[in-house]
Amino acid sequence: MTLRLLVSLLLALVLGWTAPSRANTIEISHISLEGNDEGYALDADFEIELNPRLEDAINKGVALYFQVEFELTRKRWYWFDDSVSRQRMLRLSYHALTRQYRISSGALYQSFSTLSDALRVLSRVRSWQVLERAELTTGTEYQAGLRMRLDVTQLPKPFQVNALTSREWNLASDWRRWPFGIKAPVTEKAPQ
Amino acid sequence: MKYVLIFSVALGAILLFLLAAASGNTALFSRHYALLLGLNAALATALLALIGYQLWVLTAKLRTRVFGSRLTLRFLLMFLPMVIVPGGLVYVVSLQFMAKSIESWFDVRVDNALEGGLNLGRTALDLLLTELNDKARHMALELSDKSPTQQVVLLNRLREQAGVDDALLLSSSGNVIASASKSVGKLLPDLPSAAIQRQARQSRAYSALEGAPDKRLSLRVLVPVAALSIAEDERLLQLLQPVPPTLARDAEAVQEVYRDYKELSLSRQGLKEIYILTLTLTLLLTLFSATALAFLLSARLSEPLALLAAGTQAVARGDYSRRAQVTSSDELGILTQSFNSMTEQLDDARSVAESHRAELETAKAYLENILANLSAGVLVFDEQLRLGTVNNGAGAILQEAFDGLKGRALADWPRLQPLARAIVEGFKQHGADTWQQQLELAERMLLMRGSVLPRASGGGYVVVFDDVTTLIQAQRATAWGEVARRLAHEIKNPLTPIQLSAERLQAKLANKLVPEDAATLNRATETIINQVAAMKGMVDDFGEYARTPAPNLVPLDLNALIREVLVLYEHAGALLRPELQPGLPRVMGDPTQLRQVLHNLLQNAQDALAGSAGPRIEVETERAGNQACLRISDNGCGFPEAIMMRVFEPYVTTKPKGTGLGLAIVKKIIDEHNGAVRVENLPGRGASVSILLPLQRESAKAA
Repeated sequence: MTLRLLVSLLLALVLGWTAPSRANTIEISHISLEGNDEGYALDADFEIELNPRLEDAINKGVALYFQVEFELTRKRWYWFDDSVSRQRMLRLSYHALTRQYRISSGALYQSFSTLSDALRVLSRVRSWQVLERAELTTGTEYQAGLRMRLDVTQLPKPFQVNALTSREWNLASDWRRWPFGIKAPVTEKAPQ
Repeated sequence: MKYVLIFSVALGAILLFLLAAASGNTALFSRHYALLLGLNAALATALLALIGYQLWVLTAKLRTRVFGSRLTLRFLLMFLPMVIVPGGLVYVVSLQFMAKSIESWFDVRVDNALEGGLNLGRTALDLLLTELNDKARHMALELSDKSPTQQVVLLNRLREQAGVDDALLLSSSGNVIASASKSVGKLLPDLPSAAIQRQARQSRAYSALEGAPDKRLSLRVLVPVAALSIAEDERLLQLLQPVPPTLARDAEAVQEVYRDYKELSLSRQGLKEIYILTLTLTLLLTLFSATALAFLLSARLSEPLALLAAGTQAVARGDYSRRAQVTSSDELGILTQSFNSMTEQLDDARSVAESHRAELETAKAYLENILANLSAGVLVFDEQLRLGTVNNGAGAILQEAFDGLKGRALADWPRLQPLARAIVEGFKQHGADTWQQQLELAERMLLMRGSVLPRASGGGYVVVFDDVTTLIQAQRATAWGEVARRLAHEIKNPLTPIQLSAERLQAKLANKLVPEDAATLNRATETIINQVAAMKGMVDDFGEYARTPAPNLVPLDLNALIREVLVLYEHAGALLRPELQPGLPRVMGDPTQLRQVLHNLLQNAQDALAGSAGPRIEVETERAGNQACLRISDNGCGFPEAIMMRVFEPYVTTKPKGTGLGLAIVKKIIDEHNGAVRVENLPGRGASVSILLPLQRESAKAA
């Protein structure tokens, strides 16, 4: 068993643990990046499907951290790409005493009596102010990217080891990337 | 290699410490746990590669049989069990111990108790909620038949009666109608969310336990207040009551422990894996480091031996200059030092022996040189009379290369049998004494001297011989010279009185005798006078031979001299064919004596041609090195083989008339000119006499 563990550990090392294996149980179903007065806000819908192992872990009281990552890159031929990235951490936990599921982000929290309710809210990102107007320049072609993943490093250590060796603990969507450019009318609106 | 290993071990120790720390409950390294694991695994792999490299090097050394490599292997095989056995033992025991202790944390009874505790808390909270619900329904009933203004007043009283902290009356649109609170300072009532209101209206009741991460647990109950008429809208009564602190705290504590316990049981496998991984990595790093260290130590232990071996091999090859370095003060160091001093002594001894040998060789070469340049012949035999050593002189005298004779017994010699027989006889007759003997061998006279070599120097025999032919010839010539001189002196004296007496007899008696007697007397006296004259001539010849004066050597033109002499023989009958090389350098010679030589030789040739058909005499001159060669050939009868060797001795002649002194005089004159004379019979018919005369030296000519 030790050998199997070591082998899989080494395999994980070889394949690179920063990009866990592709267990795509999160899908991105809708994305929109809308301009407003301050800059751009992101709306996105995910489809999160928890496997029984993760569901069991939540019901046993283990908190899961979901990280939504947004990235805006500008290609530069002469140097590394210029990039802006934003993260948002969402914590999903179960409160056994009140039998409630709780999603918290920073000091804000929301309680749900069922896991599916909680997941539905978790998978909806609304009006996430990802970009400031000052960060962008007009007429430049950007590449925007979005993904959501289960942050394994926030798990208690034993689970981290599990996550290293088992695919069940790796929950992530692929990067969804799309080209993005600023339209002139939006910049005209900015001075008002 | 050494520093790589030290670095790896140090790094491994640090990494293992970090990993162990991260495996514990400190939060410090837990974030980088995976990275630490990876680093450790990478280090273990690197160490494994190092061991593989060391193994490969050792195998290569073993295959090429490098001295010391097998000793290294033996040391290694001794070290390895000392590393592997304790390490493995500790590892197995630790694994067992860890698995047992982790399993022992989990117990069904603890599980049940925690579950029970949690349920107890829930039940207590549910009870509180039910109670609050009852109170709310009672209050709603009380409020339902009151007018809105009365309700506002009544709400606070009812709240106090029920002992509830907060009461709130909401309109159907969600506006606050009335609010009553236990705490005076609280201005803003805690409003229920729209979803809660909706749920309360639909299901005619809402009761929930609410808890925020940083707030106390509280109970919230919403019930609709029945309206008096249809026209009036339905209001909602909300009661808020915090859970009693002790209960809340205990319930929370139970929940915390329950959650931790569940989490722990869920992560049991993971925990085991953490510990197993940590332990395994520790074991691997330790084992690999120790193995690599064992390699290094083994190599180090056997290194001085390998150095010594290299030194020994160098000495065996004859290279004494290599000195093994003394690196330690232990027995190995002492051994190395003794080896060095031994090598030094060997070196000294060898150089002394070398110089001795060189001296001996020089002496031997010197002796050999002397022997080789000795004109006498030397033959060395072993005790069985087998030929050992021959010098150049022997070869030159005997005109024999001695091929196939070396190492053969004298009796078996295919050639030179007379010599061999004489040597065998000599040694047989004289035993251990030195003997001397003259031996005539193919017209040569050899003087041999045989001696027995002392037994101390290996024994054997040595024969030294010399060609004494010329010596004997010279002795003979001298003897003949003396005889000739004595003859000339002793015989010439009585000849004159004899002649005078005969003449006197004739003069005195001729007239006194009868004519017949007188005629007889005349004939007799004529005969006496003629014979005495002949004898005088003969004696003069002897005298001339004996008294040839020392030549007066002057540079002279040989060709001119020859032409001068040849003129005298032009009408003598034989055909003269001079072939004189033009431009012949001058020779050193006495013109008178050389003229005599030419006369003698030409006379001889003419005598030899007497009676032969087509007589011909060739006279040639040519230059031969630093000598001039004069050759006079004829096609006459030639020399008889029997006298070839003694042709220059006086009184050796084939002529019916002659003293036999002609060639003897020639030989004498030419010898005194430092020249050489050779006689040979020509292949067809006739004979030729060659004379070599030294040329005038270049320096003398220049002067």
